[in-house]
Amino acid sequence: MIRITREIDPIVTAQPSPAVHGEGPVMTDDHYEKCLAAIAAEPALQGENVRLPESAGAGLRGGLAVLGVACLALTALGAVVHSPAHALASFEVGVFVLLAICLGSLFFTMLFQAMNAYWPVTLRRQMEHAAGLIWLPLLGMLAVIVIELLSSVFTGHGVLFQWLDENPGYLLDHKDGYLNLGGLLVRFVIYGAIWLFLARSILSMSLEQDATGSREITRAIRRRASWGLLAFALSVAFASFDFLMSLDYRFYSTMWGVYFFAGAAMSALAVTTITFSVLRLTGRLTGVVTDEHYHDLGKLLFAFGACFWAYIAFSQYFLIWYGNIPEETAFYLYRKQGGWEHLSMILVIGHFIIPFLILISRKVKRNVLFAAVMAAYLLIFQVLDMIWIIRPMAYVNAESPAGPGSWWIDVVAAVGALALFASFMMRSLVSAPLIPMKDPRLGRTLEHKNYV
Amino acid sequence: MSMLSTVSDYLPFVPKPRPQFVTENGARVHGLIAEYASAPEVFHAAEKIRDAGYTKWDVHAPFPIHGIEHAMGHKKTILPYIVFSIALGGAFLGWLMQYWMTAVDYTGFTVQGKPYGAWEPFTMIIFELGVLHAAFASLIGMLMLNGLPRWNHPLFSSERFLSASQGGFIIGIEATDKSFDPEATRKLLEETGGTDIEIIEDED
Repeated sequence: MIRITREIDPIVTAQPSPAVHGEGPVMTDDHYEKCLAAIAAEPALQGENVRLPESAGAGLRGGLAVLGVACLALTALGAVVHSPAHALASFEVGVFVLLAICLGSLFFTMLFQAMNAYWPVTLRRQMEHAAGLIWLPLLGMLAVIVIELLSSVFTGHGVLFQWLDENPGYLLDHKDGYLNLGGLLVRFVIYGAIWLFLARSILSMSLEQDATGSREITRAIRRRASWGLLAFALSVAFASFDFLMSLDYRFYSTMWGVYFFAGAAMSALAVTTITFSVLRLTGRLTGVVTDEHYHDLGKLLFAFGACFWAYIAFSQYFLIWYGNIPEETAFYLYRKQGGWEHLSMILVIGHFIIPFLILISRKVKRNVLFAAVMAAYLLIFQVLDMIWIIRPMAYVNAESPAGPGSWWIDVVAAVGALALFASFMMRSLVSAPLIPMKDPRLGRTLEHKNYV
Repeated sequence: MSMLSTVSDYLPFVPKPRPQFVTENGARVHGLIAEYASAPEVFHAAEKIRDAGYTKWDVHAPFPIHGIEHAMGHKKTILPYIVFSIALGGAFLGWLMQYWMTAVDYTGFTVQGKPYGAWEPFTMIIFELGVLHAAFASLIGMLMLNGLPRWNHPLFSSERFLSASQGGFIIGIEATDKSFDPEATRKLLEETGGTDIEIIEDED
């Protein structure tokens, strides 16, 4: 059986395989070359339709970069004007929105490759690009660690990480084998190594296939994606424990990793939808990314953006509500007072009920503009979700709680992070063809159709 | 008229409207069927019949023909709206049942200090009842919209129609269609390439 699986070509596993009867590989190299030639001759895959000129959006790209840096500088100013804890929390909101986008994109890239999916081939390149920008949030996480480290060295306690304090409380005694600065640094290096390796190597292999069209590359990516998904699942869960759940070191929730993952998957789909909507509305990718692809992209956005998030968020709340254990319920109590109760309600209605009712519609999913509007809407809710998780912890820890009206720091931090991301994303867009040009599954992707 | 005939097809105790067309034996005309030679032919014939404005007709083939729903001009089904509203009703029933039981009828018993009528523990059962009603609504609604179940169908009296399960491509136009006219419809079927046109009698 092992011999057979090796011999089945990735692009024909859906067909009955003569290899099962010992007749060798189902697709000869000759046949494969013909398949690539047919793709190369496809009229929709020529010239400007699938490739942006180097200069496209150069001014906007520069402007977004300036805006991003300016907004992050304003965030730093917030540390002086208000409190360092508030500014760092806002900065972390921005960093984790970007991390969610990049990790979600990495997840879908690997999932599509591991499952040998043919319908999203034309969507994959921009997800690979977004995943390849993982260094951006990793730099932000490093900055968070450095600030916490400096604070811990000079003042004896962390800015947001209360567990860096000398002797914060009894409940840390059971956790300080895990929650300590050395452990955090080691784990951060491991997460960064896994994510950077997977994201950058899959991107570069995919770009290499654009040039060579080698069938070996499809297999190599698929092998890497298969173990990569496991490494991804563990690293994302532990990273969300280290940076988000540990903001209140007393708190623990077994749903935490999957909660962050739900938001990550949604953000990645939202960014993909926005990217392709911009490209399609400016007249690119005609006949390459169609309403049919949008329909399926919208189904995933509906599933992850509304249903899965609500399912995970409710399950977490419900178990803690029923269990009624003080160190767990405190997490929700902070978010039911001091103004946060409004944000909690906004999340329930705006992150679940409204997108559920809108995205359930077939028409919205298949419309370039509506889909982009809903994607942008859900991306805003990812920001609000991160604010809801991170910011109340600045209230709990800071000596002087951030006053009302100080939400401008969150806005500039989120806008700054997203603007920087958009700037680098636009740079990636022009650097390569907009879709994987020699993926052997491309022929089937172009024919993709939703019959229901 | 057309609506009433649909209802009386489905519910035997509703009297059928007076027949518009009868055969020489005095039997009600169910409609006309014609046979086509191949799937492409029946596909293009369907497009022409659709463009002629017929609504009560059907294509019968031994296998599913991709895209035939567009060739026939089928509208999207209203089933999702039926399912959604019945599911919402079911979810409301789930809430009502639990609220009445725990907060109105029997309130002497506090569990874990939780308030009476707290919404959190209701959610599962609200969801389950919503899903249950949605499942029933989609199955029963689908059958009803298809006019099922029924004892028999006039088309089954035709040997030619029965060949559609083995190799025949058949189009049948019903006499209750508002565009139906014995001569014009027969002519349309002939023009679109239909052969062996047959009148189907209703059994009553």
